[in-house]
Amino acid sequence: MDITIDDDQKMLRETAMAFAQEAMTADAIRALEGSEHGFDAKVWRKMAEMGWAGAVFPEEYGGAGTGLLELALIVEALGQGAVPSPIYSTVVEAGLLLLDAGSPAQRDSYLPRIASGEAILTTAIAEPSGGLSPAGIRTRITPAGNGFTINGTKLFVRDAGAAEAIICLGRTGDNETDLTLLVVPRDTPGLKIRRLQAAGGEALWEVVFDDVNVDADAVVGEVGGAWSHVARLLLRGAAMKSAELVGIGQASLDLTLNYAKTRVQFDRPIGSFQGVHHHCAEMYRDLEVSRLLAWQAAAALGDGMAGDRETFIAKAKTSEAIQAVTRTAHQIHGAIGFYRDYPLELYYHRAIAAAAAYGDAGHHRRALARMLRENLGRFRGESSHELPVHYV
Amino acid sequence: MDLKFTAEEAAFRDEVRAFLRREITPAVWEAHRDLAEQGMWTAEFTKAFRRKLGAAGYIGMGWPKEYGGGGRSRVYQAIFWDEMEYHRAPGLDRAITYIPNALMALGSEAQKAEFLPRIIRGELSWFVGYSEPEAGSDLANVKVRAVEDGDHFVVTGQKAFSSDAHMADYGWVLTRSDSASSKHRGLSMFIIDMKSPGITITKYPTLAGWTHHAVHFDQVRVPRSMLVGEVHQGWKTVMGAIDFERAALSSPGLVSYQFDRLLAWCTKEREGGRLIDDPLVQDELVRLAIEAEGAKVMSYWLACLHAKGLRPQHETSLALLVKRETARRLDVSGLELLGPFAPLRHGSPWAPLEGEVEVEYRDHLYFQFAAGGFDITRNVVATRGLGLPR
Ligand SMILES: Cc1cc2nc3c(=O)[nH]c(=O)nc-3n(C[C@H](O)[C@H](O)[C@H](O)COP(=O)(O)OP(=O)(O)OC[C@H]3O[C@@H](n4cnc5c(N)ncnc54)[C@H](O)[C@@H]3O)c2cc1C
Repeated sequence: MDITIDDDQKMLRETAMAFAQEAMTADAIRALEGSEHGFDAKVWRKMAEMGWAGAVFPEEYGGAGTGLLELALIVEALGQGAVPSPIYSTVVEAGLLLLDAGSPAQRDSYLPRIASGEAILTTAIAEPSGGLSPAGIRTRITPAGNGFTINGTKLFVRDAGAAEAIICLGRTGDNETDLTLLVVPRDTPGLKIRRLQAAGGEALWEVVFDDVNVDADAVVGEVGGAWSHVARLLLRGAAMKSAELVGIGQASLDLTLNYAKTRVQFDRPIGSFQGVHHHCAEMYRDLEVSRLLAWQAAAALGDGMAGDRETFIAKAKTSEAIQAVTRTAHQIHGAIGFYRDYPLELYYHRAIAAAAAYGDAGHHRRALARMLRENLGRFRGESSHELPVHYV
Repeated sequence: MDLKFTAEEAAFRDEVRAFLRREITPAVWEAHRDLAEQGMWTAEFTKAFRRKLGAAGYIGMGWPKEYGGGGRSRVYQAIFWDEMEYHRAPGLDRAITYIPNALMALGSEAQKAEFLPRIIRGELSWFVGYSEPEAGSDLANVKVRAVEDGDHFVVTGQKAFSSDAHMADYGWVLTRSDSASSKHRGLSMFIIDMKSPGITITKYPTLAGWTHHAVHFDQVRVPRSMLVGEVHQGWKTVMGAIDFERAALSSPGLVSYQFDRLLAWCTKEREGGRLIDDPLVQDELVRLAIEAEGAKVMSYWLACLHAKGLRPQHETSLALLVKRETARRLDVSGLELLGPFAPLRHGSPWAPLEGEVEVEYRDHLYFQFAAGGFDITRNVVATRGLGLPR
């Protein structure tokens, strides 16, 4: 066992942190929030040059073949620097989905260009039903000619405005998980997109499919066999958002410590008051536990373990804890933090968005509760203990 | 990062588990609990069991070879402590957790030669004499005096809240050796033989139902060779020792045990069905499981940092805080999940889980203020860990 990051990972983390701090000014970040794409293409290209767009893909696709923990360290840094990027849509979602389930042709055509930063792709999963469960998927995929027709409305689609293709999940049969994934070029007739007004730095879109036709070779994986891939995608997304939340929490704590050491009231820095000490210690406690749980989730998914228990725990914990951290940060800043041009606001908004992404705390607790009912032993995880004294 | 135990670590864990299941059976528990002491293990059994741990090689497993240790990584030690706590085995106290670490780091060569071999065999019990009636959180306020007299020091005064003093062979005692200098300067640390003339022990019942002690020193002569560290430099010594103490107290075994026990209770068939089928109960159990996982990961993370040769400091306080706060949450939820049975004590035929939850709810109360209680730990984390001004 070694629950620490190794020297290479540490170096990657430091590089990513340094980059994320330098990449963009707070004003530039803020200016992007209303913009169509929501991220700066030049910054994304630089990240790709550093190898981050391709990090998790095998060398044959121009990647470095690293694990998910490395990706988690990168998104943590981006969270800490509040740097928006298409890394979720393109790498965490579409890229890894294609790597898992794509046909050789699909992989060859997209993965090398994703790794080099040229191609932006995304996935369209969630719907107005709001949930992330298969039962909520209403979008219909019907056979038509040599291919399929798609009808339905998708929500929370990341970076749809910049994507060259959208991988869409729809229903091909009546069984709950009779679901299929199709790659749809963004300029296909009948596909309409609309930017959603939402907190946080990501560009989220509504995507409407109105009699959109695609060929048979658009299928990713097998017809009717999509759900296991989507479930994996959602887990990866949740683990990565947990890591991003840690970055958001770290930035909030750093700003707070800095402020508490310099802001003088009653002739003393406010950071010398015990009430403030205790608030900060609480933030730090929640942050460190969150960090370890987030790393654990990423490592478990990356190591080929099921990783679901670890991910549910991480996302449930970080979604609540880091939002609390940002609220306490504001408590200590007082009025100044309430102003739009003080950087704390960035993190307050991002925590709202990240906590909601890929399942909020309640969603993941519900998943854990299901595990609890169905499989007590797994629920205890490593400790396949027997109770020492017999009670039951 | 590797979340899984190595094959050797897993084998070691299984071996420890098998050892504990063999040694700590329900029959053994029944035979050696002291009912007058709220069902704690008797002092005799605790001492005998510690020798067994010594004979099995568990005590010094993580010590360097030069001190007769097994030289194994701290991960093994963490596994051992985790399992000991989980099985609620006796003997996992200062005598084998942090006193030896403190001795190795701070003791003289003669002291190491005298005590470490006996500690590793599980022969010694200790009491830690820091607290006094006027020196709790404000530990530098100690008043027990040590007066130099040739090659001895003469110790006089009273220590308070002295755990296990009744069974101790030695005391690890902080004294004031120079009352003229400032509060933190004039302190000295001694190892005191509890058979020395002039020592008396007073008993006080606690609200957890067991007996605690105070130790009185009346002109007790302590050889100079039993001074730990340098004279008047006791503050440095005690601060070093306390870091080891906090690391030792953060083991997650208790929390896992509490959780598993609660789960067992909730799956039991009751009048209207199983508690675990109630959504509110599920939500509470899930929240507890999340906290318990946090405590576990943080504790093993600490062990891994140690195993890498790093020296975590405020992280240690943090891990202690996380473990103890989680244990308290489990205490509170546990009592609530027992419903009308909550107040029934051991001995009542209807007491659920042998009355353990009710005892622990009272017993763990001291987590909130003793040995780096919640608020003091937050102070340490804020000032030492986060660099906030005092
Ligand atoms: C079961 C048990 C076992 C113990 N075993 C030992 C032992 O073996 N050896 C030994 O030496 N001692 C032992 N102690 C004593 C223990 O170390 C003390 O309880 C501890 O140091 C706190 O001191 P106090 O109880 O006098 O509380 P006080 O210091 O009087 O504090 C009272 C309350 O005020 C809070 N407080 C005090 N100062 C501050 C501050 N600066 N900021 C914020 N809050 C503050 C404390 O957190 C606490 O809640 C034991 C205690 C218990 C209950």
